[in-house]
Amino acid sequence: MQDTITAAINPADEKGSYLASAELEALKQYFQSGSLRVKAASQIGASASSIISETVAKSLLYGDITCPGGNMYPTRRYAACLRDLTYFLRYATYAMLAADASILDERVLNGLRETYTSLGVPIEATLQAVKAMKEVVTQRVGADAGQQMDVYLDHIISGLS
Amino acid sequence: MSIVAKVIAQSDEANRFLSSAELTKLQSFFDNGITRISAARKLEANQQKIVDEGSKRFWAQCSDTPSNRGLPEKTALCQRDQGWYIRLVSYCVLAGNSKPMEDIGLDGMRDMYVSLGVPLANLKIAMRCLKEIAMGTLTSEEGTLAAPYFEQLIRAF
Repeated sequence: MQDTITAAINPADEKGSYLASAELEALKQYFQSGSLRVKAASQIGASASSIISETVAKSLLYGDITCPGGNMYPTRRYAACLRDLTYFLRYATYAMLAADASILDERVLNGLRETYTSLGVPIEATLQAVKAMKEVVTQRVGADAGQQMDVYLDHIISGLS
Repeated sequence: MSIVAKVIAQSDEANRFLSSAELTKLQSFFDNGITRISAARKLEANQQKIVDEGSKRFWAQCSDTPSNRGLPEKTALCQRDQGWYIRLVSYCVLAGNSKPMEDIGLDGMRDMYVSLGVPLANLKIAMRCLKEIAMGTLTSEEGTLAAPYFEQLIRAF
């Protein structure tokens, strides 16, 4: 996987150069946002299951999707949905810490749309859930960190759309 | 791969969010971010000086070495490599781990210098001299962040 530091170092090395001033300035801002990122990751990690429960309650629970014929019925598929949403949350948190979306692409998004389509998982409902997750996460971590998480949850949304 | 990527990869391997020990590790990495930036800037600004003065010190300890045989092209090549190692130290300081050094400058390094006929034992002395001069250009906080990577270089040779 790539992170924002490696993403600056690799092209500099290709040119045999030190990091340019603008790149160092960007890294400085990243370092300075580190506390915010670490704190958010800690809060999200500690309350992941409750974030997921609330996300489902906000977006999926009261619709047809949890009834017979829906994609979250029976319980096995409900659990699979919880598992996938937890993956989204975990990888978005990794990406937020790294300030780089590549891990989301590599581990989650590559081929996901095709997989969901072939399994009959409704994309629209998934997108609704990720949108709800954005709101729940922001409530938990606050507006500033929420904005950072939004970048990567939005990345999932655009990757699935 | 930076320390951030490394810690994330560990967590991913174990299918979990970051542990509190890992988060603490990242927090302390971020905490001295400003020092990392200033150390990287100084290593760049002083690269030439570190190489020039490091070479003098090295030749005083080890006069019979390829870079000191009166062949300007050879000397320039050796010093160019030394400059590159200083650049790799600056990458490591920013990344918070030694992966850039290993991937770019250590993997295959022995084979290369053996094939070039450059004695590794001499290079070890040269790297130690570079470290000594470099430390003189950094504050003690910056030096603490950079020293482990110079040490790693010296060990590798």
